[in-house]
Amino acid sequence: MESRTFKNKVQEFIRERVISKLQLAYFAVDEQMKVRGASSNLSDYGFPKLDIGKPVDEQIDFMIGMDAKTELDLPVVGSPSGIPISVSLMPDDDQLTVLISNASTATEQRQLLQQAANENELLVEQQKKLMSELEMASQELEQKNRQLEEASRLQTSFISGVSHEFRTPLTSIIGYTNLVKSDLAKMSEEMVPRIAKQDSDDYLSAVQRSSKHLLSLVENLLDHGKLDSDEINIRPKPTDLNELFRDVELLLTPLSTTKDIRFDIELDIPSDFEAIVDDSRLRQCLINLVGNAIKFTDEGGVSLKAKLENESLNVSVSDTGLGISADDLKKIRLPFFQAADTGKVGTGLGLTITERIIEMMGGQLEIESELNVGTCVTFSMPAPLIEPQLAVEQQLSVNLTELRVLLAEDDSDIADLVVMLLEEQGVNVRRVVNGALAVAALQEADFDIVLMDIHMPIMTGYEAIEELNKQGNTTPIIVMSASAVEDDQERAKGLGCAAYLVKPVDVQEILSIASMVIDVN
Amino acid sequence: MDKKKICMVGDFSVGKTSLTQKFVNNVFSEKYLTTIGVKIDTVEVESTKLIIWDVAGRDSLSPINASYLVGAAGVILVADGTRESTVSGLLDIWAVVEKRIGSVPCVVALNKCDLPDWHVSESNLDEFASRDWSVFQTSAKKGHDVETLFHTLVAKI
Repeated sequence: MESRTFKNKVQEFIRERVISKLQLAYFAVDEQMKVRGASSNLSDYGFPKLDIGKPVDEQIDFMIGMDAKTELDLPVVGSPSGIPISVSLMPDDDQLTVLISNASTATEQRQLLQQAANENELLVEQQKKLMSELEMASQELEQKNRQLEEASRLQTSFISGVSHEFRTPLTSIIGYTNLVKSDLAKMSEEMVPRIAKQDSDDYLSAVQRSSKHLLSLVENLLDHGKLDSDEINIRPKPTDLNELFRDVELLLTPLSTTKDIRFDIELDIPSDFEAIVDDSRLRQCLINLVGNAIKFTDEGGVSLKAKLENESLNVSVSDTGLGISADDLKKIRLPFFQAADTGKVGTGLGLTITERIIEMMGGQLEIESELNVGTCVTFSMPAPLIEPQLAVEQQLSVNLTELRVLLAEDDSDIADLVVMLLEEQGVNVRRVVNGALAVAALQEADFDIVLMDIHMPIMTGYEAIEELNKQGNTTPIIVMSASAVEDDQERAKGLGCAAYLVKPVDVQEILSIASMVIDVN
Repeated sequence: MDKKKICMVGDFSVGKTSLTQKFVNNVFSEKYLTTIGVKIDTVEVESTKLIIWDVAGRDSLSPINASYLVGAAGVILVADGTRESTVSGLLDIWAVVEKRIGSVPCVVALNKCDLPDWHVSESNLDEFASRDWSVFQTSAKKGHDVETLFHTLVAKI
């Protein structure tokens, strides 16, 4: 009796704690998958009451495709009631028992965890995708940037090349025009009637003006290209500012006289000091600004004022010219911009270049203007002062008569011109057409100075200079090239050349430099 | 009536449940709710009662539970056309299917074709074609090619 009671208690315990707690339901099928028996609580999960002896797959959908021999564990299956169930298929010798239990609790917990994990993974995937898109965009940008840099480099190189090509014929045009003009002036009235002489002189002046204008356009283009590729360097040195401003006055007064307008200059610069500035760049800026003012003024005049105080140079260029409209004033600093209806020609680069150079010299350019009233351009820039250096007498201290010059120049027009101009001054010139011949000539004879072009066939000027250096040459070499690229000038300096002249050069410049070079040597 | 079990398999969040719900109940929800285990739906297609087992998707931690595939007459491999990894991952998933239930009839759903940023490589498409799988660009949201997808599989089994 006691053991029976114990067995009952165990069965009751299993029923209570296991079967009812897990809400265990079950059914059994025979080898033909026909229902043999089932628990009554199958309906708790939404399954119908099973008909004994009938195929199970006609009554329970999840049994479709199953067989009686395969053991299977399906951890979570949605039941018809919506309650998640766990299903175990347990084959035996002659039947398959299918146990069903409630899997709600485990499923709920897993649902929460899995949902969070999957959402997280989706976010990570999304992030990876965005990162890779970002990376691609960045690579594309880099590539575009490289292409732009390359395009810019090619542009600069193209402009430098074109500029070089323009300078060479311009050297001839300007030089020969000067020559013809000076010959014309020497001719007597018997040789040329006065009126015809005046006309010819006017025509030649027009050719001179046009070729100088063309030269300044070429120079502006070259500077613009250099500014774009940051090739322009500012090289400050002690400068007599009064002299620099007077130079500008001398240079531009003829322009204002031609237009019959005033050009005043007012300087307040102490003469007992020199200022450390890049004189050539400052001169370029002043010529540009004053040149512009004169160009756009047809009545009244142009006024250039400069004041040096507290080691700062303050400059203003004002005119009574066309003025600039408010709209155009916004665009005036853009490269290649030109106000539409001024009727004046130019590249539209002068102001852009001037502004950039002034910025590079530590200054800032301001423009105020009113249409039909006039324009005032001002800028201030640092100009540290030092005691003036002892002036070096730069007069021609050497007797140039009988000076022996070797000229290496492949362009026959330029060579003929230089030879003629130098010979007029009593200089002995021997001309060769390439670097190799220059080297040979120096081996054969003595010269006081060598004028060397750079771009020549067979052996370039640089190659010739390198060769001469190897041979221990002591004759001073002056490079005379159409290339205004600073790299070329640096290279010439590095090779020990005495000077570097940019074409077009005039004979006085050659002689002045030659004289200095010989004097020093 | 003939009854057939088919399984929807693929990576997580590719739209297996959405395609099933669109086909069976003509509903679509934007909300993502991950499937745990398997959900079973039934629908009549022509003269066949189709029992669709919508199997939980594969994720980085859990593989496809192949037990759910037992007894299936065909499978629909589902991928998200905007997630390249789920498309190329179909070949691995097919290997699991084939190992457990053999080379059953199969169709492929490249889902979410309504979304931009489609990433399905030609090499994957060539691979599917070489296995003679019918491939559909589906949208559970718009219903695009959902009917055709299921009907094609039914015709194959």
